[in-house]
Amino acid sequence: MKIDEPVTKETIECLGVLAGLPLPAPRRDKLVPMASALIAAANELNRKMAEGRRRGVSPITRFPER
Amino acid sequence: MTQVDLLNLTIAQAAPRLERRELSPVELTEAMLQRIAAVNTQLNAYITVCAQQARDVAQATERMIRAGYYLGPLHGIPIALKDNIYTRGIRTTAGAKILADFVPDEDASVTARLKRAGAIILGKVNMHEFAWGGTTDNPHYGTCRNPWNPERFPAGSSGGSGAAVAARTCLGALGTDTGGSIRLPSSVNGIVGIRPTIGRVSNYNVVPLAWTMDTVSPMTRTVEDCVTMFEVIAGWDPLDPHSAQVPVADYRAELGRGIRGLRIGLIRDYSLTHVQKAVGDAVRSALKTLEDLGARTEEIPMPSIHGNISAQLTIESCEPSAYHQEWLRTRPGDYGEDVRTLLEMGEMYLATHYIQAQRYRSVLRREFVEGFRQVDVFVTPTLPFTATPCGATEVVIENNLKEDMLSAIMQFTGVPSLAGLPALSLPVGFDPDGLPVGMQVIGRPFDEGTLFRLGHAYQGATSWHTKSPRL
Repeated sequence: MKIDEPVTKETIECLGVLAGLPLPAPRRDKLVPMASALIAAANELNRKMAEGRRRGVSPITRFPER
Repeated sequence: MTQVDLLNLTIAQAAPRLERRELSPVELTEAMLQRIAAVNTQLNAYITVCAQQARDVAQATERMIRAGYYLGPLHGIPIALKDNIYTRGIRTTAGAKILADFVPDEDASVTARLKRAGAIILGKVNMHEFAWGGTTDNPHYGTCRNPWNPERFPAGSSGGSGAAVAARTCLGALGTDTGGSIRLPSSVNGIVGIRPTIGRVSNYNVVPLAWTMDTVSPMTRTVEDCVTMFEVIAGWDPLDPHSAQVPVADYRAELGRGIRGLRIGLIRDYSLTHVQKAVGDAVRSALKTLEDLGARTEEIPMPSIHGNISAQLTIESCEPSAYHQEWLRTRPGDYGEDVRTLLEMGEMYLATHYIQAQRYRSVLRREFVEGFRQVDVFVTPTLPFTATPCGATEVVIENNLKEDMLSAIMQFTGVPSLAGLPALSLPVGFDPDGLPVGMQVIGRPFDEGTLFRLGHAYQGATSWHTKSPRL
C-alpha cells in the first residue's frame, strides 16, 4: 500500500481489525467510497493544521469559554 | 374560538387568554390532539402521542388556574419533545430500534423545567435515528414528511419537531442540534429555531450524538415564542458537566429594542456563495429589510472557513462511534443502513484526524472572535437549498451538479456548531414551489439576546412566519 493510493477494501479491513470491529465483505464494500472521500478530506485538514504557523493552536474540547 | 383559530394561536396569543381564563387548557390540548390524529398518518411527526396523560395534565392545569395559581406564559401550553429527550414514564426511543422499549425513570433537566413551568407534553416526536443524519427518513418509525409538501423531507435530525410545529399540532417543540439538527428542520418547515451557545441549556438526560457539539433548544413559529420557551430551559445545571455558570439575560427585554445600528457581517466568498437562486434571493431580500430597519451590513474575511465540513464530519463521526461502540458490535443489524455505515465510518478515522479537527475549532472560533470586533452578528442562509424529495441522497444546488446530501446540508450550520456559537434560523421567504427558505444568524457566545432581537424586529416587519401549510 502506498501513501497516495485511494482507500481500498483491504485498507478498510485493516482499519476494522485495528478497531476490533468485524466488517464482513459487503460492509467493507459499502465503506470504501465514503472513506475515500472523508479520509482524503480529513488528511487535507491534517495537512493544514500541521503547518508551522498553527503549532500554538490547542484543541477546544470543552465549552464554554467566553 | 373555532378549531382553526385554536390551532393558529401562538404561545404569546394563547398565554394571556389562559391566564384570564378566556381559554381552557383542556380545550386547547384537545384541539391539538385532534389535529395530531388528523395529520400524523400523513406526516409521521409523532412516534408516541401521550393523549391521556396530556388530557389529565390539562384538566389539572385548568383547576390550578381557576384556583388562582397561574405559573407563567408556558402554563397550559401544549408542546412536543424530540424523542431523544428523557421523559419519566414515557418511552424515549431516540428514533432507534435499539431503544424501542426504553422508558426512563427520570426526566431530562429540560423536561423537568418545562413541566415545572406548566407546559403540557403532547408526545414525543420523530427524528433521524440517534440524531445521526439530516433527513428524518427513519427506518424504524417511518419517514417523517414536510407539511408544506409531504413528498418533501422535513430535514433533521429534529424533523418531527419541525413538522409538528409547522403543521399546528403543538405550539412549540424541543429539538436537539449538533451540526444543524434544529436549524435545518426549522428552515425547511418555515419556523424559528435556535441553537444555543454550548453550555447555555442543559444536556442532562438527553441521548447524546457528539458530546462536544450537542445542544438542546426550542422550535416555534415566532421568535417571541422561542424566547418564552428558551427562558424556561436556559441556565446552569449542576447535573451537566458542560453547563455554564453564566447569568441568563432578560431576553424579553431585548425584544423591543429594535436593531438600529446593529452591524451584520457577511463572510466573504461564503455567506451568499454556492446556494440555490431562490435561497440567495430570499436572504438578500431579508438583509435589505434589516437594513431598512436600521442595521448595516459589511463583508468580513474568514480565511479558515472552508475546512469546516471536514472538521464537522470528523468530529460528528468519531464521537458517536465511541458512544455506540458496544451496540455496533453486539446489535449491528438493529441500526438503519445509513446510521450503521456512518458509525462504522467513525471507526476508520485516526486519532490525529479527530484532534486536528478539534484544533481547527480553535482556529475558526478565533476568526469569529476577531470578526465580532467589527460586527454584532453574522448572516448566512440556513441551508443552501430548499426541501428535497423524501429519500433523496443527493441534491442539486447549482449548475445541475449533484452533491452528496450529508456534506451539502452542513454547508452553513456546521460553522457555529464547531465554534460553539449560538445561531438562530428564521423564515425569510419561499421558493417558486412554495417551499420555505431560512436564514441563519450567528451571534457571540452567550449573546442569544441579540439574535432574538434581530429575529423579532424582522418578524415585526414581515409576514413569512404567519403563513401556514395547506394540510
